[in-house]
Amino acid sequence: MINNMTPTIEEYLEALFHLRDKGKAVSTKDLAEHLKIAPASVTDMIKKLADKKLVIHTPYKGAILTKNGLKAAAALVRRHRLSERFLADMLGVPWEDLHDEACKFEHVISDQVEEKLLEALGNPKTCPHGNPIPTSDGSIVEDMSIPLTSFNPKETGTITKIKEENPEFLHYLASLGLFPKVCIEVKEIAPFSGPIIIKTRGASYALGRDVACNIFLHPDIEVKKRLKHGKTRRKGV
Amino acid sequence: MADTCHIMAGRLKEPVDLIIALAGNPNVGKSVIFNQLTGVDVISANYPGTTMELNMASTRLGGLKIGVMDLPGTYALGAISDDQRVARKCILEGHPHIIVFIADATNLERNLYMLLQLIELKRPMIVALNLVDEAKRLGYEVDHEKLSRMLGIPVIPTVAVQGKGIEELLKTSVDVAIGNIEPKPMRVSYGRDIEDIIDELEKTALKHLERSPHDLPVRALSILLLENDKEFVEDVKKDKGGPEVLKEAARLAEEIRKEHGESAAIRLSRERHGLAGMIAESVKSVSEEKLPMSQRLWAYTVNPRTGVPLMLITMAGIFAFLFYIGGALSELLTRLWEIGPHVVIQSVVFGLLGKGVIGKTLIWGFDGGIEAALSVGVPYVLTFYFILAFLEDSGYLNSIAFLTDSIMHKFGLHGRAIIPMVAGAGCNVPAIIGTRVLTSPRERFIASTLIVLVPCSARVAVIMGGVAKFAGISYALGIFLISLLVIIVVGLVLNWLMPGQSSGLVMEMFGLRRPSLKAIARKTWFRFREFVFVAFPIVLVGSLVLGALYEMGAIEVLSQPLKPIIVGWLGLPLITGATLIFAVLRKELALQFLITFAITQYGAHAANLSTFMSKSQLFVYGLVTIIYIPCIAAISVLVNELGWKKASAIVIMTTVIAVLLGGIARIAFSFFA
Repeated sequence: MINNMTPTIEEYLEALFHLRDKGKAVSTKDLAEHLKIAPASVTDMIKKLADKKLVIHTPYKGAILTKNGLKAAAALVRRHRLSERFLADMLGVPWEDLHDEACKFEHVISDQVEEKLLEALGNPKTCPHGNPIPTSDGSIVEDMSIPLTSFNPKETGTITKIKEENPEFLHYLASLGLFPKVCIEVKEIAPFSGPIIIKTRGASYALGRDVACNIFLHPDIEVKKRLKHGKTRRKGV
Repeated sequence: MADTCHIMAGRLKEPVDLIIALAGNPNVGKSVIFNQLTGVDVISANYPGTTMELNMASTRLGGLKIGVMDLPGTYALGAISDDQRVARKCILEGHPHIIVFIADATNLERNLYMLLQLIELKRPMIVALNLVDEAKRLGYEVDHEKLSRMLGIPVIPTVAVQGKGIEELLKTSVDVAIGNIEPKPMRVSYGRDIEDIIDELEKTALKHLERSPHDLPVRALSILLLENDKEFVEDVKKDKGGPEVLKEAARLAEEIRKEHGESAAIRLSRERHGLAGMIAESVKSVSEEKLPMSQRLWAYTVNPRTGVPLMLITMAGIFAFLFYIGGALSELLTRLWEIGPHVVIQSVVFGLLGKGVIGKTLIWGFDGGIEAALSVGVPYVLTFYFILAFLEDSGYLNSIAFLTDSIMHKFGLHGRAIIPMVAGAGCNVPAIIGTRVLTSPRERFIASTLIVLVPCSARVAVIMGGVAKFAGISYALGIFLISLLVIIVVGLVLNWLMPGQSSGLVMEMFGLRRPSLKAIARKTWFRFREFVFVAFPIVLVGSLVLGALYEMGAIEVLSQPLKPIIVGWLGLPLITGATLIFAVLRKELALQFLITFAITQYGAHAANLSTFMSKSQLFVYGLVTIIYIPCIAAISVLVNELGWKKASAIVIMTTVIAVLLGGIARIAFSFFA
């Protein structure tokens, strides 16, 4: 399906993927701003996408990706991020050119090459910017988001959002490498609802409960399994 | 607060030719390198308006005299916290001739983040790649030559605790500072779209700004403005063309936010982390990942199942060490004093001035006072400082802080406060100074107040020797129980009353490290030296005043106004009032003086306190003694650490609580009897 798409459709799908906010439609205005084109041409293209059953279009509200649309978009994003990884890690392409080079490179990757690339790169989880690479079935991960305080030691997840009003504190966390789309591992939890030690990018930090309860993560598959079986969090001694 | 760094350089014993600034993340061995580089001539000062301590010392290379400045350790170079602001100000305004960035080889990626920020400032700098031995133990190596090529600045591998690489580091710093080596730092670049935006802002800034604050490269300034850096936004505002530039910066930052769905500050942060990660990845070669002993041990210290027992043992150990070893040392010093200086001082003073009021008063000050300060200072303060420095440098303090954080949180404190609180049971004085490990003034006030309420060894001696002996152990235990309750209630109330709340805990956990004995010894000595300079004069003057009052017979006159409180409200014999005044000098004097005064008043049999005080009176007396005003040494450090106002508040508060509870206890006793 991807092969017979014009690059413009691909750009639209990627834009919709970036701008999507669980279940909410992306407005024509936002899409136009993101793609830097006139809103009128956006409306036209959305109609085309709707015809191909890639989006559901609600007038005055905007567009929302269908299941197929999401899958196609995720596959595109996956190849883009994989390309960035490849260009950075294997070829040493300068940081500032990564995105643009990947935009060109991603279009020449076949399924077979994609698989080989993954292998050669050691199954990376994120692109060099720290964004997660969607899984091979094309599904993207952010279908659930739970606070850091619901994790057990040794469990992992990807930050989806940090609910923090104070921009300075957010900035501080960012300087430590804590921002959305970053994978973290829970190392230890202090007793009596104490702080939580997490590990990210090779550094470990103890985060107080008041900080941890505002950090939301998409849990990895093991955590989901545990939650599904209704087991509760390990209590401290 | 302009040139603290230069002013400090001026205070060094001799003028310096060069200034080196040591920058880097916390816990990367910065102070160890500082100690290895420099000699004993160290100047410490608080940076104006902050609790940040700056150390400066000098060293020599060839004919050059070099000042070395130890900046606060920070994770980034921004304006978010005091430590970040101070570190950046010193670099921008202190104009060090060279910056030595100390990077932790075991955590290169995170360290490179701040290094990239520093490179953007375009100041002369080199990198010390420290802890390369630790990295090897973890199973990987960092190619420092490749790193140097990528960054475009010299990188010197070091093992600071063993002094390896220090000489080369100093030599290379000087070479760069005097221009023998000319580094060509890399250009820190961002994604193409961000680069375009930076370019745009740079052009606007060049067009409108009269000058860049601190002569910062305009590119660096543009990035800081996009990040909405408080200090630089303020600086630019003052420029004539500033508003125009700020408007443009805000517009462009919003453009980034729209494009990437996150604020410009976070986007820039993300890209910088990405770049740091890329560099770290390409210079690191992993042979096999190993978990060295120190890491495995560390895991036990933070696992609740093993960490909590370990912590309790450590606390008990510290307490026992201060109580027994400190106590024994104190006794030894007192004895040594009695046979040496005591005799000399007495004979000199009495020989010169006779045994009049003046002579005796001087004996109070120079004999009793110095002895009191010594017997607290050396055995308790010095030993505790050593333990504290060891806990800090080994990294174990962080494990304890992690485990106790939730309990301390209820008092508005962080886990780090637990160590000074426990130490307070040995002696309040070092414990109060130990609150420096806490960051906010609010936390330090709460912690100091609670420490003052913790019965120190001297007060325990009064309770055991007075109350337990003459009224029974159950009375003594009752007093300890009440004092524990008081600590809990005061903690809860202060947390509730005081404005602000404890900030969210974000603390790096860096495993256990082998501490450097030299660094610990120096840290201990600097802190102790400060204690000596602050506490000794106050104790001396206080002793002289009290002595003069006593020798002139004024104590009894002074205790008359206390009659309503001592006799009326607390129901105690009037002579106890005078003993309570004297106990401010040293708390254990409460008991000694009570016995002395009783004997002069009632005769020899009064050495048995129960002959003139009932059990309930002894209980009330013990309770008041344990809670009211800390001793004069404690007051002196309170004043030094918190200022007059807060110190007075603590003194008044504890006295009021003591008198209140004493009276309530009397009423309760009479009710049950």
